[in-house]
Amino acid sequence: MRLPRRDLHSLAGPYALDALDAGERDRFERHLERCPRCQDEVRRMSQTATALAMAAAAEPPAGVKERVLAAVAVTPQLPPVTTRDRPRVRLGAAPRAARRYPRLVTAIAAVAVAAAAVLGGLLAVTQHQLDSAQAHNQEIATVLAAPDARIASAPVTGGGTATVVVSHAENKLIFTSAGLPELAPTQVYELWLLGPGSARPAGLLPEPVAGKTAPVLASGFTAEDKMGMTVEPSGGTSSPTTTPILVMPLPQ
Amino acid sequence: MEAREAPGPAKRADADLDALLTLVARGDQGAFEALYERLARPAYGLIRKVLRDPAQSEEVVQEVLLEVWRTASRFDPARGGAATWVLTIAHRRAVDRVRSEAAAAGREQRTSRVPAAGDAVADSVEATLDAELLRRCLAGLSDVQRESITLAYYGGYTYPEVAKLLEVALGTIKSRIRDGLNRLRDCLGVS
Repeated sequence: MRLPRRDLHSLAGPYALDALDAGERDRFERHLERCPRCQDEVRRMSQTATALAMAAAAEPPAGVKERVLAAVAVTPQLPPVTTRDRPRVRLGAAPRAARRYPRLVTAIAAVAVAAAAVLGGLLAVTQHQLDSAQAHNQEIATVLAAPDARIASAPVTGGGTATVVVSHAENKLIFTSAGLPELAPTQVYELWLLGPGSARPAGLLPEPVAGKTAPVLASGFTAEDKMGMTVEPSGGTSSPTTTPILVMPLPQ
Repeated sequence: MEAREAPGPAKRADADLDALLTLVARGDQGAFEALYERLARPAYGLIRKVLRDPAQSEEVVQEVLLEVWRTASRFDPARGGAATWVLTIAHRRAVDRVRSEAAAAGREQRTSRVPAAGDAVADSVEATLDAELLRRCLAGLSDVQRESITLAYYGGYTYPEVAKLLEVALGTIKSRIRDGLNRLRDCLGVS
């Protein structure tokens, strides 16, 4: 059913309660962009709806908080929309943003796989990403989809957070980081698998994007190994030359 | 009891939530955790109210909270407070899910989702002041106003579906929703 324009105002209430079907919702949102009176009305009614939501509060099941915080630690955020970018029509936003932030979008795709598997609820996203991602991402997705996948985070000396997802069954792990201090161009963060009396190189961290590093995959470890990280000269070394800024046990 | 965002004299708490969400937009994970403490319960309770199924509600609340993290930079305080922004996302996701399930399963199954009388308000152990106040305010609405609002918001029905369920004309439902929300707002003292 298509309402004449003057009747669109009457949809503010149903809109604030999400009681429009998808077509009418889109139509009303386009109208909303240029109807200050409707914006006021929707804001007031949405605030009232918020009271309905607050009154329904209930404790989430155990584990939700941990899973959400773990996913947050490996999920990059969207950049702010600047006034210049703000599209006149909502639908125009996606392709423009994709052109402007190609690297970031790639990183989001890569890490979205990680986040998706952490949250069983995003399986559809995982599937979508699997369909379009490269072999590297597929290998990462395999680890994350492993039934025994475990996640742990630890602070890094000097700042930042390290997150490790391990599948002992696959004997593979994924390392990501957020908020590590920026290094001189001649330096790199190097990962290590630390066993009793041994340190095996486990890869170099890529350049961070929006403060986060894309997942690094490592294998060939034992359950007793620890994850280590040092700052090394560009190109990395075969054994650590500086004091580790991270030593964390692998999640079991 | 947790800080109350709405209804009530909660402007201060609202401003704090807005500030938290602004920090979240800058990548502050500590601020996100604080925001979680304040809004995860309403978000989960609302989603559970609409979806009913605990496992699905758990999935959806996780998606919603991650979306809040990812898209925090898009929050615009001028369009309503942080609680409204987060709970609007939560409600939208829950409604989208329940409608796509209903479309897949056929419409008849949906009649079982009509909220039972007296079920409009939280049944959680914490019978909060919010819930008690809302219960009283809802009781002050006409039957059609109250049922239109609760069927649409907690039941996830579109307003034409609500009109059909209540056997009332479409135009009547739209005006009852608007009048009911306005009366609720006055009664609750939403700022």
